Amino acid sequence: MTVRTNADQLLRTALVGEVTNPVLEGVSYAVDADGRPFVPVGAGGVQYRVRVGMTASGWAADQVEPGASIANPNPPANEALLVYACLGNRAVVRTGAAAGAGGVVVGKHEAFQAYKHVLVDFAADVLARLAPGDRIVVEAEGRGLQLPDLPRVACHSLSPRLWQRWAPEATPGGLRVRVTRVLPPEVVGMGSGRVSAATSIALQAGFAELDGLRIGDLVAIREWDATYVTGYHEEFLAIAAVVTGDSPLLGNGPAATILLSGPAAQIEPVLAEDANLATLLELP
Amino acid sequence: MSPLVTNAERLVEIGLAGEVAHPTHSGAYSVDSYGRPIILPGMAGVVRNVRVGDQVFPWAADHLEPGVSIGSDDPSAHRALQILACIGNEVRVLDGPAAGAVGRVTGKHAFVLADFPQAALEVLAPGDRLAVRAVGQGLRLEGFQDVAPRSCAPGLLEALGVTADGGRLRVEVAAEIPPYLMGAGLGMSSEWANCDVMFTRWEVIERLGFERIRLGDVVAMHDQDHRYGRGYRPGHIAFGVVAHGGHGGVPGHGMGVATFLSGPAGRFEIVRADSANLRDRLPLPA
Repeated sequence: MTVRTNADQLLRTALVGEVTNPVLEGVSYAVDADGRPFVPVGAGGVQYRVRVGMTASGWAADQVEPGASIANPNPPANEALLVYACLGNRAVVRTGAAAGAGGVVVGKHEAFQAYKHVLVDFAADVLARLAPGDRIVVEAEGRGLQLPDLPRVACHSLSPRLWQRWAPEATPGGLRVRVTRVLPPEVVGMGSGRVSAATSIALQAGFAELDGLRIGDLVAIREWDATYVTGYHEEFLAIAAVVTGDSPLLGNGPAATILLSGPAAQIEPVLAEDANLATLLELP
Repeated sequence: MSPLVTNAERLVEIGLAGEVAHPTHSGAYSVDSYGRPIILPGMAGVVRNVRVGDQVFPWAADHLEPGVSIGSDDPSAHRALQILACIGNEVRVLDGPAAGAVGRVTGKHAFVLADFPQAALEVLAPGDRLAVRAVGQGLRLEGFQDVAPRSCAPGLLEALGVTADGGRLRVEVAAEIPPYLMGAGLGMSSEWANCDVMFTRWEVIERLGFERIRLGDVVAMHDQDHRYGRGYRPGHIAFGVVAHGGHGGVPGHGMGVATFLSGPAGRFEIVRADSANLRDRLPLPA
């Protein structure tokens, strides 16, 4: 049985982001968990090689962002882009050599006091033509999504399109959702205390449950509440999509964008290997 | 048991300028862990009625910074203050009616937090200029190369009663924190601000028996590696002092703990002592 939503009440709004350029603060090294200096590359710009569906670990990078990383150069407009954009939204290239090409929003990613990006997947031939500065229009739809029969379950960054493909099933008093794994609460590192609507949390290294993790995987986090702001709550559960690669930094790791949160008694995660954005959104 | 041998005499001591930071506000509500909109004070300025040694949770506050919050309007200078100031450092008031008063750094959060005698707290105000004698980064413990002091003034470990015994450091703590409660502050550098313990709901505080924890308490954080950044790592441990409090309760935040020591768990012996608090151990004047 399907779960009722208010999808017919949602707005569809156009927002604009530009393909970012990577940023570095001076010529400084970051320091990894074992005290070794490294250069933190991977976030920002166009990533030709790493795509949604690939492994999240082992890249020579710090939270590599798959596909195209976009942001609006005006900070308040960027905040809106981050809040409005939902995973599964359509995006269209407005300017540059790839003008007219369509893509799909596959993540939101924040780095502390550094940047806030929306991540967009495009076909390889489109990525090859994209460049920093190209304008991308996001057809944002999904903010405000509610489940009328489950008012305590909060939806974030979840487009009606992704909802349909993910196809949560109704259970007596709740819903059942597909995920690739269930993680303990202490997996959450950087990102505790962030507003659930607009950002990402990092999944820290050190857990066997993260073995084989892929970018795009949907994961459940036990004892975690992301109704409004992300934090520990022994009676709640959160579902998030992995949107970047891992990180050499302590307390960091693959970034994950919140999709759903509510009382654990109402959300039943079931393991499914194909619970990945690449499959669900049929990415090219 | 033997006293600690350190490189304290090789450390440099730098005078840093700061001022009492003025509170700021976005005008927007925060949301607490029960989904209620909240506007609560706590950060920056001078808190005159809550000091290190007082309990963490009784206050109608969020991110309550006890005593004086020191910052700089110049972002680069503010960063230097955050990174270089160490717990236990001396702070002197340079101007205003409290000029000449001497306090001590007791923690870090958005600002460097300092305690002053009550008479000075009564007259200090935002904008008053302060000088921090920053010394401590670079501190090493002989025989403990795998243990990292962080933001730890020379003499702090001795004041807290830390001793070396058979290759282990004996540390007295008032409480022990499980890894699943570590929240905002993970992933940041070891010296920057602090790490929140997610005591944002009274039910959790009661269930784990933390009702009477005090600002300034020394705590052990299990399965935490805070040597090069802060994060989860089984078999490691970090020690800090409770730097900020209140139970305003934005999810993922909570009581802040500023790290001063971290290393492999096997290098430490933990001893529980309710008296393990900066107030009596530094000691801080009334």
